[in-house]
Order: sequence, then structure tokens, then C-alpha cells
Amino acid sequence: MQGSSFRRSSVAGLPAGSGSAFPALLLVGLFFIVPVVALLLRSVTDPEPGLQNYATLFGSGTYVRVFLNTFLVASVVTAVTILVAYPVAWMLAIMPPAFGSIVFGIIILSMWTNLLTRTYAWMVLLQRTGVINRALMGLGIIHEPLPLINNLAGVTIGMVYIMLPFMILPLVGTLRAIDPMTLRAAALCGASPFEAFRRILLPLSLPGIAAGGLMVFVMSLGYFVTPALLGGTSNMMLAEMIAQTVQSLLNWGLGSAAAFVLLVVTMALYAIQLRLVGARRAGGGL
Amino acid sequence: MKLILTGLLAGLLAATAAKADEMAFTSWGGTTQEAQTKSWAAPFEASSGIKVLQDGPTDYGKLKAMVDAGNVTWDVVDVEMDFAIKAAKDGLLEPIDYAVVPKADLDPRFSNEHAVGSFYYSFVLAWNKGTVTGEPTGWADMFDTQKFPGKRTFYKWSAPGVIEIALLADGVPADKLYPLDLDRAFKKLDTIKSDIVWWGGGAESQQLIASGEAAFGQLWNGRVFALQQDGTDVGVAWNQNLTAADVLIVPKGAKNKDSAMKFLAAATSPTGQAKFAEASGYAPINTKAKAEMPADAVKALPDAHVEGQINLDMNYWAEHRDEIATRWYAWQTK
Repeated sequence: MQGSSFRRSSVAGLPAGSGSAFPALLLVGLFFIVPVVALLLRSVTDPEPGLQNYATLFGSGTYVRVFLNTFLVASVVTAVTILVAYPVAWMLAIMPPAFGSIVFGIIILSMWTNLLTRTYAWMVLLQRTGVINRALMGLGIIHEPLPLINNLAGVTIGMVYIMLPFMILPLVGTLRAIDPMTLRAAALCGASPFEAFRRILLPLSLPGIAAGGLMVFVMSLGYFVTPALLGGTSNMMLAEMIAQTVQSLLNWGLGSAAAFVLLVVTMALYAIQLRLVGARRAGGGL
Repeated sequence: MKLILTGLLAGLLAATAAKADEMAFTSWGGTTQEAQTKSWAAPFEASSGIKVLQDGPTDYGKLKAMVDAGNVTWDVVDVEMDFAIKAAKDGLLEPIDYAVVPKADLDPRFSNEHAVGSFYYSFVLAWNKGTVTGEPTGWADMFDTQKFPGKRTFYKWSAPGVIEIALLADGVPADKLYPLDLDRAFKKLDTIKSDIVWWGGGAESQQLIASGEAAFGQLWNGRVFALQQDGTDVGVAWNQNLTAADVLIVPKGAKNKDSAMKFLAAATSPTGQAKFAEASGYAPINTKAKAEMPADAVKALPDAHVEGQINLDMNYWAEHRDEIATRWYAWQTK
């Protein structure tokens, strides 16, 4: 991939010698390329050779709707995650290291807690008779329980919570690398804190936002448990639909086709974003 | 290194040898599988010396993958009847050996050439007595949001039940349900769509009703039974309860077919069925089983409510699965 901005955060760089890269290539082939090719083959051979699975996929309003829902949910989740993660990451970046590691520990700990448990916990918190609605009603702020679950709001809250660490970690890395003197210089030149943020901090932290945002978006596209439990059927995501198609209807060809289309779209988005971020970085003249 | 290899090899050989008197039983997990283990597997192990390994949850995709790959690690699987009918047609199942599994006392509604009944359940109308005033009496009340306000919870997936409930609520007589009038059913469901909360699994259905998140629900009677056992104040309407069965099947190419058939014989015996029914609140498919059960346990079964009881037509569902599913998800995701 041409994404120079990602090289820093990528897995330990391989030596340039082509011979020593062979085991890695073999692993990539085994664990990535073979399954994808098998998926593609299945989508055009099951139950019979041809493109009928793709015709069904694009011909049925249901799948198209579920595709669009999936991208809508992933976009909303990514946007909200960035908004929530940014101040947290900034706080972590400027905090004394001793405090920082405690906060880091808390964030990591939440990542290590079982996903299903955390999702069920949100279910209990968010429902009409849950703690949040009861508290708000008890305080007289609302009179009818807010619809926080089985809809887009529920999925967004649950998924943002789960995605936060994946956004915060790359952001902290980028923010820490920014010289605080640049902000002081901006202030000396008369910039208000907001101006300094908009014209200095935000552009400089864009690579971190892009890296985290892409990760969150791509992970959200394939998410299963949380949307299944906190969402409603009108914002059903593709993973759940594929699971039903494969497990219950035993229509593996159609399920494979849906999975393959999602993969292709995801990779296309990835390529576009890399190009955009790469270009902006070049234009920013770092 | 060589030592380790030899050890591994010996271990492998031992494992293969031990396999001769082992078999794998797969079901849905939770309280149902616990009851199956206790009522069927444990006594069977004791009497036959065949060890029954437990696996799960049942996954139709996995089952098909095993048969397709010719590497079947499940010997007996608890599945839904409509799936069994379709799977038999697709060549995924071994025929049941009725020379080993005594057939005479089995309820003929729930057994066929490739499947033998596991237990049968009813979908009932349940409600949280803390949040509901009044007493709903049938499915029509579940669609009457004027008389009975609150959220209602239905089974999320395209499966026998919800369509029938909508039609019954719309006034279709029980004996005229099939062939299902999907247009009419979805039109009826449209009237309460915004009041529906879906449950995807039994535990979720219990949670929704117990917390009052949903005031009413279409629940498996065994799940209501368990809630009541836990002391939750839940009301049940048995009127128009909808019955369907789970069945036990043997996947094609199962490695321990002989043991599997012996297990089926034990599981469907009057004693095995009686014990399971008592533990789960689901009804036995062996007609001799009730005689072995305490009287108050019999009262908790769908069997005690045959009046107004409606059998879901699994043959119809097996045949129209895909067509119904297409319509179902199109309506649901809209």
C-alpha cells in the first residue's frame, strides 16, 4: 500500500530482502488470499455457476437497504467516536505520564472485558425501564422514557463505547508528536484557543484522525453482536443479515456474495482514503 | 523432539481408540440442554457405557458444512422440525433406524423417516403483570394497542409463529391458516410495527418481559415456565397456543451412527421424555411419558392446554421457507 502515513504505525517492518519476506507472504496467502478466493468462488458457483447470487443481491431491495444501513451506521459511529475520542486523547497527550498511564489502563481494561457482557450491560442501562431513563424521569427532566434502544441511537451508543479505544490510541500517538510550542506560538500571534485548534492542532492531528477513523469505520462495517442486540430491524446491519442467510437459510452462495461485495467496497474506501490522506499530508508540507 | 512426537502419536491413537464408545450430542445450550444432559445423556452413559460429549449451540450452517466436507463431528443434533424436513430433502440426514428406536408410542405428529421428536413446545402470549392492567386472552389483544398499551415482543427471525399469530389476530380461523396469506399477515403486522421489540433468543425474550421493557410477548412456554419458577409475576394466555416440535436428527456421515440410534431410543423412551418434560416444562413426544410424571408437572405442559391449541404446519414452512424469508426480511428492514 502506498500509505506512507501508516508506515509508522504498521507492524514491525520486514527486512527489504525479498527472500526473508517469503514466510510472511506465505502466511498472508494462507490466511487472507485463500479464504477470499474461496469466498469469491462460492459466490459464483453455489448453488450453480453464474452470477445469479449477485443479481439477487442487487435486485432485492432488502439487501440494498441493509447495505445502505450498514454504511450509515458505520459513518455515524465513526463521526461520533472521533468527537468523543478527541478531547480524551488530547487530555491523555498533555497529562503527566503517571496519570496518563492510569487513564490508559482504564481504557485498555474496558477493551479486555467480554464484548457480550458489555453489550448486555448497555441493554440494561438503555432500556425504557433502565437506569438512564429512570434517573431522567426521577429528576423530572423527561416525562416519557427516551427511545434509547432498538434503534440507531442504541447501536451508536453501544458501538461508540466499544470503538473508543481504537480511536483514542492512534490519536494520542499523533497528538503527542505535535510540539506544544506550535500552540504557544499561535497564541503569541494572537490566535484564540479555538483558532489555534482549528488552524494548528486539527490539521496536524489529521493523520491520527484518519488512521483511527478508518479503523473504526472498517471494524463497524462488519460488526455483529452489538448492533444485533442494541439495534432494531430497520437498521439491521449486513453481518447479521449474512449470518441469517448462511446459518438459517443455508444460502451460502448469497451470503458469500454479500460478504464479497462488502469486502470490495471496504477495500475501495480504504484505497480512496489512503490516497486522500496521503495527498493532504503532501499538501500540508510537513 | 522424537519423544514428544511419539507421545503425541500415542495420544492420538488412544483418542481414536476411545472414540469407539463416544458420541457427540448437540443442542441449543442453556436450560434446555442442561435438562437434556441430565434426563437423557447421564442415564444413557450409565446404562450403555457410551460417553456422550456435549456440544452446541445448534448451527445449521455448521451442520451443512460438516456434511459437505465429509467430516461430521456431531452424532445427534436437536433441530427445529421445519429445518429437519428441508435438510432431509437436501440429503443432509441419515434415516432413523426404527428397528433400534421403538416407534409405537411416539406422537406421529413429531416423527418421520429422518427425525424423531425431541420435545414439543407452545408459543404462548405472556405479559408482565406489573406493567399490564387487565388480562389479555388471545393474539387479537396483542394487536390491540388501544386496549393494551405497551411494547410487544416477537421472535425476530423468519420462522413459524409470528405470521400465524398476525393472521389469527386478524380473524382467520385456525383451520384456514394454511396456505399462509402473507399479504394479509404483513398488513396486520404493519398496524403495530412501531410497537414491536424483537427478541433474537430465549434469554432475550425473558429479559424483555421480566424487566417490563415489553409489556407483552410471544414466548416459548418453557421460557415462561422458567420465569415463573424464578418468581417473576408473569401472566400467560394459553388460548390459541401454537405448537411445534424440536426433533433429533443424525447428520449424514455421522461417525457413531450406531451409538446415535441407541441414544435416540433412550431419549425418546417414556422415562427419558418424562424426566426432560418435568425439568423443562416442554411436552413429551412419547405418549406414555405423562404417566411417569407428577401431576402438577403435567399441568405446566402444553399438553394441559389442548383446547384451542393450533399445530404450526412445519411441512408448509419447510416448503416455503425461502419465499417467506424473502418477504419477511424485506418487510422487517423497511
